[in-house]
Amino acid sequence: MLSSILLVANTATEHGGEAASGITKIMDDFGINVPNIAAQALSFAIVMFVLWRFAFKPVLATLDVRNQKISDGLKHAEETQVRLAAAAQESAQIVRNASVEAQKIVDEARKVAKEFADKQQAEAVSRAAETLAKAQQSIELEHRKMLDQARGEIARLVVTTTERVLAKKLSDADRASYNEAATKELTAL
Amino acid sequence: MAADKKTKLLAKQLFKLSVVDGTVSPEQVTGVLGWIEKHSPRHPTALLKTYYRYIATELAKSVASVEHAGPIGDATLKQIEAAMTKKYQRPVTATAKANPKLLAGLRIRVGSDLFESSVSHQLATLSAAV
Repeated sequence: MLSSILLVANTATEHGGEAASGITKIMDDFGINVPNIAAQALSFAIVMFVLWRFAFKPVLATLDVRNQKISDGLKHAEETQVRLAAAAQESAQIVRNASVEAQKIVDEARKVAKEFADKQQAEAVSRAAETLAKAQQSIELEHRKMLDQARGEIARLVVTTTERVLAKKLSDADRASYNEAATKELTAL
Repeated sequence: MAADKKTKLLAKQLFKLSVVDGTVSPEQVTGVLGWIEKHSPRHPTALLKTYYRYIATELAKSVASVEHAGPIGDATLKQIEAAMTKKYQRPVTATAKANPKLLAGLRIRVGSDLFESSVSHQLATLSAAV
């Protein structure tokens, strides 16, 4: 291919005549050498191909992979954010529900505590009344017992005194008379 | 030693043999004691104790122990004997015993029966009633 290009160039030079000599002169003045340029172009093309094949393509593939990873990461982050928002909403709902439930429990506890206090108060009142009644009964019994004891003691004293008086005052005639009456009473049984 | 059932039964039978017409006969008692001495039954001591208790109880039923405070005449004792004899349908003899604690009146004991009409008894009744 390079040889055909050089051949075409030589042919053009030969057929150019006088006009071509001007171009050739310019090319000489600027140091342009067609075979060198062609060789450089070929070398550039080869280098380009090699770079494209073994450098740019893997780099681009790596970039594509990284872009994909970044895109996935962003997508994942968005999903995470959505899920985070949902979780926050759910947790807020749970907190609200828990608050309502806690309020219910507190109300129930207050109600139970009030009922318990009322019950305790009623029991205390009942117990106090019962204790009072028992105390009154005990006082009444004690009073009766004291009266009985006093009555018994008085009776004992009266009897003892009467016995002593009778022992001194009764004469034999009185006793004989009483004995006769007792004999009649006992023999009539 | 406590008398067993057979000994008590034998003592009861001997006691019944000792009673004639509702009173304890000394001749019968002598005969019973002779029989016990001759035959020497089982547990003779327990038998004799049980027999003695029956005889003593029966004899006590024939005696009216009259406790009294103040004078008491023979006529009164005779009256009590007659009343008790009639009541128990057996001869009852009365024995007098002074008891000043009665203050006035009588207490008659025949066996386990007690009859009382005395000032101390009335005072005790009054004290118990109060």
